[in-house]
Amino acid sequence: MIHSVLIFNTSGVPRLTKFYTPLRSESQPLIRKIFSLISPRPASLCNFLDAPELQSFLGSKIGEEVRVVYRNYATLYFVFVVDGAESELGILDLIQVFVESLDRAFENVCELDLVFHFDDVHHILGELIQGGLVLETNVDEISEAVQTSQQTRKESFMTANPLALGVGAGGPRSSTLQTPLGWLTNKLTGVGAR
Amino acid sequence: MWERNLQDLIRGLRASKKDESKFIAKAMDEIRQEVRTKDMELKAAAVLKLTYLEMMGYDMSWASFYVVEVMSSPRFHLKSMGYLAAAQSFEQDTDVLMLTTNLLKKDLTAATPSDVAVALNGLSQIVTPDLGRDMTPTLIAMLNHSRANIRKRAVLAFYKVVLKYPEALELGFSRLKEKLEDPDPGVLCATVNVFCELSRQNPRDYLSLAPQLFHIMTTSSNNWMLIKIIKLFGVLCPHEPRLVKKLLPPITDLISTTPAISLLYECVHTCIIGGMLEGASGYSLAKTCVTKLAAFLEDSDQNLKYIALLALVKIVPSHPHLLAEYESRILTSIDDQDLSIRMRALDLISAMVNRDNLQSIVQQLLSHLAMPDSSLGTTVTAAQSLQSAPGRTTTAKNPMSPTQSTSYRTTLASRILQIASADVYANVTDFEWYLSVLFDLAYVAKAPVGPAIRDQLVDVSIRVPQVRRYAVSLSVKLLGDDTFIDNGRADDDVDGSGCQEVLWAGALLCGEFCEHITDVRKVLAALLQPPATNLSPEIISVYLQSAAKIFSHWAADCASHWVEDLLPDVKELVEFMVVGVTPLTASSDIEVQERAANILQLFGFIRADLAAHRPKPAPQYVNGFADPSTAAFDPAAPDAEPLFPKSMYLLHPLFKAYALNPVAPEAQASIPIPEGLDLDAWIVPQARSVADGGADDESDIKGKKKEKRDKKGKGKEKAGGSKNGKPKASEDAAGPSEDRRAVEAELARVRTYHPSAIVESLTSFQLKAKRLEEMRDDPYYIFDDRLKRNDFVDIDSIPVVRLDGLPPLSQDGDSPHRVSTPPSISRPRTPQPQYTIIRDGEMPTSSTAATTPPASTETTPSLLRKVTSDRPVAPPALSSFPPYDADVDVPRTSTPDPIKVTRVKKATGKKKRTKDVTPAEL
Repeated sequence: MIHSVLIFNTSGVPRLTKFYTPLRSESQPLIRKIFSLISPRPASLCNFLDAPELQSFLGSKIGEEVRVVYRNYATLYFVFVVDGAESELGILDLIQVFVESLDRAFENVCELDLVFHFDDVHHILGELIQGGLVLETNVDEISEAVQTSQQTRKESFMTANPLALGVGAGGPRSSTLQTPLGWLTNKLTGVGAR
Repeated sequence: MWERNLQDLIRGLRASKKDESKFIAKAMDEIRQEVRTKDMELKAAAVLKLTYLEMMGYDMSWASFYVVEVMSSPRFHLKSMGYLAAAQSFEQDTDVLMLTTNLLKKDLTAATPSDVAVALNGLSQIVTPDLGRDMTPTLIAMLNHSRANIRKRAVLAFYKVVLKYPEALELGFSRLKEKLEDPDPGVLCATVNVFCELSRQNPRDYLSLAPQLFHIMTTSSNNWMLIKIIKLFGVLCPHEPRLVKKLLPPITDLISTTPAISLLYECVHTCIIGGMLEGASGYSLAKTCVTKLAAFLEDSDQNLKYIALLALVKIVPSHPHLLAEYESRILTSIDDQDLSIRMRALDLISAMVNRDNLQSIVQQLLSHLAMPDSSLGTTVTAAQSLQSAPGRTTTAKNPMSPTQSTSYRTTLASRILQIASADVYANVTDFEWYLSVLFDLAYVAKAPVGPAIRDQLVDVSIRVPQVRRYAVSLSVKLLGDDTFIDNGRADDDVDGSGCQEVLWAGALLCGEFCEHITDVRKVLAALLQPPATNLSPEIISVYLQSAAKIFSHWAADCASHWVEDLLPDVKELVEFMVVGVTPLTASSDIEVQERAANILQLFGFIRADLAAHRPKPAPQYVNGFADPSTAAFDPAAPDAEPLFPKSMYLLHPLFKAYALNPVAPEAQASIPIPEGLDLDAWIVPQARSVADGGADDESDIKGKKKEKRDKKGKGKEKAGGSKNGKPKASEDAAGPSEDRRAVEAELARVRTYHPSAIVESLTSFQLKAKRLEEMRDDPYYIFDDRLKRNDFVDIDSIPVVRLDGLPPLSQDGDSPHRVSTPPSISRPRTPQPQYTIIRDGEMPTSSTAATTPPASTETTPSLLRKVTSDRPVAPPALSSFPPYDADVDVPRTSTPDPIKVTRVKKATGKKKRTKDVTPAEL
C-alpha cells in the first residue's frame, strides 16, 4: 500500500501532502526530515531513500518496514512512502505516470501550476490512487477521467456563477511561468519502460 | 466586500515572505469569518484556503463542521472541495464524521457518476468502523455498478472499509471474488491489488483463489497487474507447496522473456521469498536468479543496484555459496557514494559473514569509520545539484555528508559489533584481533556505541580466558591515554560519541585480571590521578574498585616472596593510594563517595599495620591482630608469625574469593526454590493492614507504635552484637561464605578503632526516631505506615545459601586463578592460537540434582547443547567452584518473615553505613 504522497520543492516547501494512513506524529517534521535527507543527494544516486534515522521516523506509524521512493523533476521532489506490497520499480513508474498526467492536465506543468491549483493536483492524484491503492496507471485513461471531472466542476461553477469568467476551477494560468517540467518528463526514461 | 480566494491567498503568501506568520494570522481571521457566512461559494473558498494552510502545517480541525457543510452542497465543484478538505483534515476521532453517514449514502447512490466517484474517493480516506458498517451494504451493491470506473473505485473503497470493519469482508467476499472475472481490465487490476493487500495479513484464506489468479497470470499482459499477481503468489507460496511446482514453469518463462525489468525483478523476488529455490529443481533457478541480480549490481542504474542488494539479502540464508563469487562486487557496494546502497550492502554483508571473511569485512567497515569520507564530497554535490536545477545554489550547502552523520556511524559501528558477536562469536577465529578491533572501534566510532563496546569487551575477556592478558595490556594502554579521555569529556560529549564507557570496561578488566599487569604503579596512577578523576561517577566507581583489586593482588604477590626491602615500596604505594582516594571521599556521587570511604578505611588500617611492622617477626601487635582467624591468611605456616606485615593479605580475599565466570542465562531460573519458600504467599499479609485501618485512630497509632517498638526490640535481639558484630553483613546477605565471614570479622575490628563513627550514626538514628515521633502527631504530615514497618532488615530471616566445600583460605595464594606467575595457558602469541570460548556459561550444579525444577536440563536451549557437542569447550564450571547447596542450617519458618527495607542512613562525619542499629537501642 502507498502510505503517503508528498510533493515539495527544492527548498522544502510542501506543494502537496497526502497521507493515506494516519500519521501518529506531526506531518511537518516528517516532511522536513525527508527533505533534509533527500536534498543533499545528487541526481546520480538511486531513487530510494534509505537512512538509519528514517525507519524510526516512519516506523512509528506503521509496523512493517516502509520504503521512501522519490523522483526529482526540475524544482520539485515527488516522494512516495510505500510498504512491501508495492513494487519499488513500479512506484518509480507510477511517479512518472503521475507527472505525465499533471503535464497533460496543465500542458507543460511547472511548479507554479501546482502552487496555484493545488486542489486540481489533488483531483488528479485522486484518479491515480484511491485510499493508498493504485486506481489507474494508464495515462490516457487518467487524463480522460481528469478532463471529465474538470469539465463537470467547471459546468457546476458556471451555473452557480453565470457572470464569472473562468476564475474557478482550471482557471487561467499565470503568465510568469518557469521551466516547464514537460521537457524533463520526455527525457526521463522509466526504469521499467513498460 | 472583497474576499480573497485561494489564488489571492497564495499570492499574498508569496508576497509576504518576510512576515508570513502575521499574514497567515490575518488570513485565518478572515477565514473564521468567511466559514460562518451563508454564502456557500464563500464558505467553500474559505475551506479550500484552510486546506491549503493545513498543508503548511496549520490546524484546521476546528472547522470540521463547516467542511461537512461544504461536502453536502449539491453543487459538484463545491462538493469536491468539501470532500478534499475532509480527506485532508478528518481524523478517526473527528466527531462530525457521524454526520456524514447519510450524506455519503446519498452521494454513493447519486445519479451523476462524478458525485459517486468523489464520494468513493472521500470514503476511502475518512472511513471509520461505524461508517464502514453503515456503508457495507451500499458498497457491496456498488461492486456490480454498471460503470467500470465506479466499480473500480468501489473495489478499492471496499478494501478500506474492510480494514476498519473486518466483518464486511465476509459479506462481500464472494462478490469481490467475482470481480476477478470482470471484463474491465481496470477493475480486474484493482481487485488483484485488493487481494494482494488482503493476503498479506492472512495468506491461508486466499489460497482458494490460486487457480483464478494463475489463469490471469498466464493470460494477462498488463505488467502492473502481473507484478501484483506475482507478489501475491510470493505471499501464498510458503503456505501451499503444490503452488511452487505449478508456478515454476510460467515464472521461469517470464524471467527469461519479459523486457520489463520491474516485472523481472518481482519474479526473481517471488522465487526467493516463495521458497521456489529449494531442492534440486530449484537450484538452477536459484543460479539464474543470482546471475540476474548480479547483473543488476553491475548496472550503471543505481536503482537496480539497490533492489538487487535488497533481494540478495533474502537469498543468502538458503544459497550462501552462490553469492560467494560476487563477494568482492558486493563489498565494493559498501563504498558506494550512495548512502541508500551502502545501507543495503551492509545488510547483505552482515548476512554473508562467515569464519573466513569476517576479518576482511570488519576491517573494511572499520576503515569506513576511520577515514574521513571523501567519496561524497561537497564539490560533487554542488556540481550535481547545479546541473539538475539551474539557478538554485542554496541547497549546495552540505556541511556534513550523510555518510558521516552520527546515525550512520552508529549503524556501522553497531553492525560491526553485531556481525562479530553473532552466535556467541561463532565467526571469530582470532580473539586478540577482535579485542583490538573493539579498542579501535572505541577510538574511531565517534558514535554513541560505548555501552555496546564495553559489554563486548567484558564478555569476550571473560569467555575467552586466553585473551585476558592481551585484553589487560590493551586496557592499560587505553586507561593511560589522556587524549582519549579528554576527547570524550562529559561537558562536550552530549551524545556519548566519545565512547567513555570503554574506560569502564578497561578498568574492570585491569582490576579483575590484575595478575597480567606488569607496571602496577603506572596503572594505579592512570586510575587515581587526573584526568581520570573527572570522569563520570559510574566509571570512577569501577576505577576505585579496580585500583583496590590491583593493589590487593600486588600486595599479596609481594607477601609471597617477602623481603624486608620491599617495605618502603609498599609503604609508598599505600601512601599513593591514600592520596589518590582521599579527594574522592568528597565526591558528590554517593557511590563514588562510599567506595572511596571504604577503601580509605581499609588503607588506613594497612598503613597502621605497616607502620607497626618490625623486620623481625615479633608478637608485639597491639591491635589484637594475633587472632587465630587472621592466621588463616598466612599460607606458609599457620602457627608461626609470618615475616611480612599481615595486612598485605587483607584485601586479597575481598576481591579474589571467586573467579569471574560467564553465567548461563538460565542459571538463575535453575536454582531450586528452597523448601518451605512459598513464592506465592504474601510477604506482607494484607488482612492485617486492613484491620489496622479499621481500628480507632488513637489506639491504632498507639498499636502501631507498640508494634514498631516490638520489632525494633526484636531487631536488637537478633542483631545481637551488631554494635561490634557484623555491620556489613546485610550488604551481601545473599551468600555469606566462610571467607566473607572472616572478612567481616576483620572489618568489624577495623571499625572498633573508630567507635566515634558508630556513636555518631546512632545519634542520627535517634534524631530520626524523634523526628518520626513528631511527624506522627502532625496532622498535616501523611506517611505510609506500612512502609515504616518494613524499615529494618532482619538479616537472619533472609534465606541464604551456604556454600560448602570451599577451598580453605590458606590455599588462596596457590589456586591457579590467583598465582602471580602467568598461567600456563597464556603462552607467547602464536599465529593462530587455539581459543576456547566459554559459550554456555556456568550453571548451578545442584540444579540437576534438585527436585524442584522439573526439567532443568531441558530448559537449556538446544542451540547451546549443539554448540558444546561439536566444539572443544572448556568445562562450564571451574572445578574449584563448589556446588551450591541448599541451605540447611539457617532456621526458616514455612512463610518467611516480611522482608524489610533498610533505610540507609549516612553518617555525616565518617561516611559509613551502619545497619541494624535501631533507635530503641539507645
